[in-house]
Amino acid sequence: MSISRRRFLGWLTTAGLSGSAFGKVAHAATTKHFEGYPESLGVLYDNTRCIGCRTCEAACNKVNDLPPPGRPFDDLSVLDNRRRTDAGKYMVINKYDRLAKVKDPLFARTGCNHCLEPACASSCFVRAYTKTESGAVTYDSSVCVGCRYCMIACPFNIPTFEYNKVLSPRVMKCTMCYDTRLVKGQLPGCVEACPTESFSFGKRKDLLKMARERIGRFPDRYVDHVYGESEMGGTSWLYLSGVPFRQIEMREDLGVTPAPALTSSALASVPMVVGTWPLLLMGIYAVSKRKEKIAKEEQEQAVAQVLAQAKAETDKKISEAWQKAAKDKDKAVEAAVKKALEAAAETQTEENY
Amino acid sequence: MTKRKSLLMLTGIFITATVVAILTSGAQGVKDVASDSPEVRADVIMIDVLKNFRELEQPPVVFLHDLHTNALVEQNKDCASCHLSEKDLQSPKFKRLTDTSRQEVMDTYHTGCMQCHQEMETAGVKAGPVEKCGDCHHGKPEVVSERQLIVFDKSLHYRHTERTEDKCERCHHQYNEVTKQLFYDKGKEGACVYCHKQQLEENRISIKQASHLSCIACHRKTLAENKEVTPDEDSREKIAGPIQCSGCHAEQKLQLIKKVEDAPGMKRNQPDVALIQPAKIDLDNPNLAPIVVMNPVPFDHKTHQEHNDTCIVCHHASLDKTCSECHTLGGAKDGKFVKLEQAMHQIDSEQSCFGCHTKKQQKPSCAGCHSLLAKGRKQEAAFCAQCHMEPPQAGIGANLEPQAMASMLLRSRTSTPYTYTDEDIPEAVTIEDLEEQYEPVYFPHRKIVRTLLAETKDDKLAQYFHRQKETVCQACHHNSPAAKKPPRCYSCHGKPFDAKEPLRPGMKGAYHQQCFGCHKQMGIKKPDPLNCMECHQEKKKQVATK
Repeated sequence: MSISRRRFLGWLTTAGLSGSAFGKVAHAATTKHFEGYPESLGVLYDNTRCIGCRTCEAACNKVNDLPPPGRPFDDLSVLDNRRRTDAGKYMVINKYDRLAKVKDPLFARTGCNHCLEPACASSCFVRAYTKTESGAVTYDSSVCVGCRYCMIACPFNIPTFEYNKVLSPRVMKCTMCYDTRLVKGQLPGCVEACPTESFSFGKRKDLLKMARERIGRFPDRYVDHVYGESEMGGTSWLYLSGVPFRQIEMREDLGVTPAPALTSSALASVPMVVGTWPLLLMGIYAVSKRKEKIAKEEQEQAVAQVLAQAKAETDKKISEAWQKAAKDKDKAVEAAVKKALEAAAETQTEENY
Repeated sequence: MTKRKSLLMLTGIFITATVVAILTSGAQGVKDVASDSPEVRADVIMIDVLKNFRELEQPPVVFLHDLHTNALVEQNKDCASCHLSEKDLQSPKFKRLTDTSRQEVMDTYHTGCMQCHQEMETAGVKAGPVEKCGDCHHGKPEVVSERQLIVFDKSLHYRHTERTEDKCERCHHQYNEVTKQLFYDKGKEGACVYCHKQQLEENRISIKQASHLSCIACHRKTLAENKEVTPDEDSREKIAGPIQCSGCHAEQKLQLIKKVEDAPGMKRNQPDVALIQPAKIDLDNPNLAPIVVMNPVPFDHKTHQEHNDTCIVCHHASLDKTCSECHTLGGAKDGKFVKLEQAMHQIDSEQSCFGCHTKKQQKPSCAGCHSLLAKGRKQEAAFCAQCHMEPPQAGIGANLEPQAMASMLLRSRTSTPYTYTDEDIPEAVTIEDLEEQYEPVYFPHRKIVRTLLAETKDDKLAQYFHRQKETVCQACHHNSPAAKKPPRCYSCHGKPFDAKEPLRPGMKGAYHQQCFGCHKQMGIKKPDPLNCMECHQEKKKQVATK
């Protein structure tokens, strides 16, 4: 069976209408804004305090048993190149010099921001990620199937993959030292190691207050924005900066909607699609099949009728022909008899002479 | 057959040769753009005047003014080639006095520019574009425009008054509303910006137009007068003042302008001292003497004049009114509802006392301590009394005139910076609080105190405001009452991230923030914060005991 363009569009419209009608209801059920677990913890990174010594990177490497780095942590020339997280680094510090209106270089920390509503967790279909009540987003490698959807979902490009491991590769990302230290009442590795307290650790709500207070006390030192307060619906890691965040390559285009909310309407329509579309499409299929059947029957009937008519006509023609032939034959016989009789009569007269 | 083959081969060779020729000629034309950075110029003008009529149809024209002035000079032409004059004043517009209509303005440019370019081309001189529209209308300057605004500071003012032999009327004028004429009113001179604002207002031309018209006209006149005296163009311009854009707007040229270090202040009968007296006028009986509501501030006008480049730093609207005439105690429309208190204390405003003094604290010798102090923190009453001095109630000086009172109060001020004697300042402090990883740190305490004092030795502002013995101590020994023996750091700072005191850094953070912060602000490169060993020593391995 071939589908006409018109028919296909008709299906699509039907599906779309039913989808949007159901989808709205489904989305309304998820618009409740989750503001994070009330007592959850977080870290505030203040780049005006950071001196770029990489002590935090070294501590992170040590407490998380990460592979030894290619170049030692006290080699600060590493900062001359732009870096990102990889399977051996949960966090990196990048240096930004030649900033407009700022004499000294400023730094930025790149690593998991522990979103209040993590995109990685919402994209993971085996629930390898958990947003714990402590604020940390943890990862369970035992259930991970290695699809790496989380790496695509993360708006900050943080999770990385152990491509070099053949048998049991894991997704690697900062866990806020949840298993290794937080549960034991210890500070995250980077926070404890920092000599200048560029990382402040505490309850997220207190950190927010603290960040605002710092901006109020030193208005010339900071940009009046706490990064992570509302980005992607809020993150457990917060940032203060001396220059606009885009200058230290932190995305300012993310909006305030948490990643799961962006996909919830589409995902909410999945049950509807799964439940209703087969029926709908099968119904349409049945209707079109029936239509075809009727059309076929009608066609057959018509053909039969035409054939019958044609046969009748032919029969009539044949019988007429037969009749004509018989008539001709009779005529010919008659003529022949007549001719023979005449010939015989002639012969008789000649003989009589 | 063979003939056809050779013909094909020849055609092939010809085509290949043509392609190669085209490609290589293209390659020759490509400049190495990356290697040379674009030229920085102060004379870039975007000609987009037609946008005042309606949306532009073509990209604006990037016009380099100095390039054209120089070309005219080479041909013995002058400004009049492009700028028309009316009543001895040259219009800044190109070959017209007013913008009449879109078509007319457009035609003026097209005929004016093209005519000259074509004439030059026929004369065999290097000329501007004549052919394609896009040669002018490309909208993409190949140069970087960086225009600085010249500050007509007191040095420059002094040099002008010297040259004109105190003929103030050469520049300063007032406007007579009745006769609609400019006239000179002696003793009422003020800054140009008091009347000439950023934009044209009623009959007052903008400051941009006023400065270009007046300055350049006078410089040109002087240049012409000195034609015989100094035949050399450069030295003549040095005498006459700049005429080209770069002279007033290019950074490197601005730095070449001679600076008279001890230029005397303007001669306008201003007082050397003044008594700023916050007083309230009784609105019901305006004839009564104002009610003094606060201790007055004796103001050393002369010293402030010496330390500032222009009058408009403080006198932002007029020289003829006192601050409190517009900025009344309760705020008034004339003063844009900025109260007297705000006019003097607003920290964000550069015209206020606080604002300007705070700005002065940004220089390295001050910033080490002051950048660590929170902005807008609450001050003690003693702090206010440093400016607001109590006048004598009875006895000598009680009934003095305001100016004499101000002089007397100013004389009574002591401004010698002094702190404790060496015995009271610990010579060194051994910081043992972070002993886990490193050996205790030797901290040369007295040397640091002495360095801080030496840095501000010649600073009158610092000398006056650092009058208490403990003032300099308070940058490090902060948040506790000033005392000879302030609390030790560990009295307040301990483990980091104390939920009860979230803003208080832990011990390690406090030390590093304080030391690094101050060193960075003061531009102290040694010890290097990135090399721990410059302050710390690796902890010696403990001898294992059996």
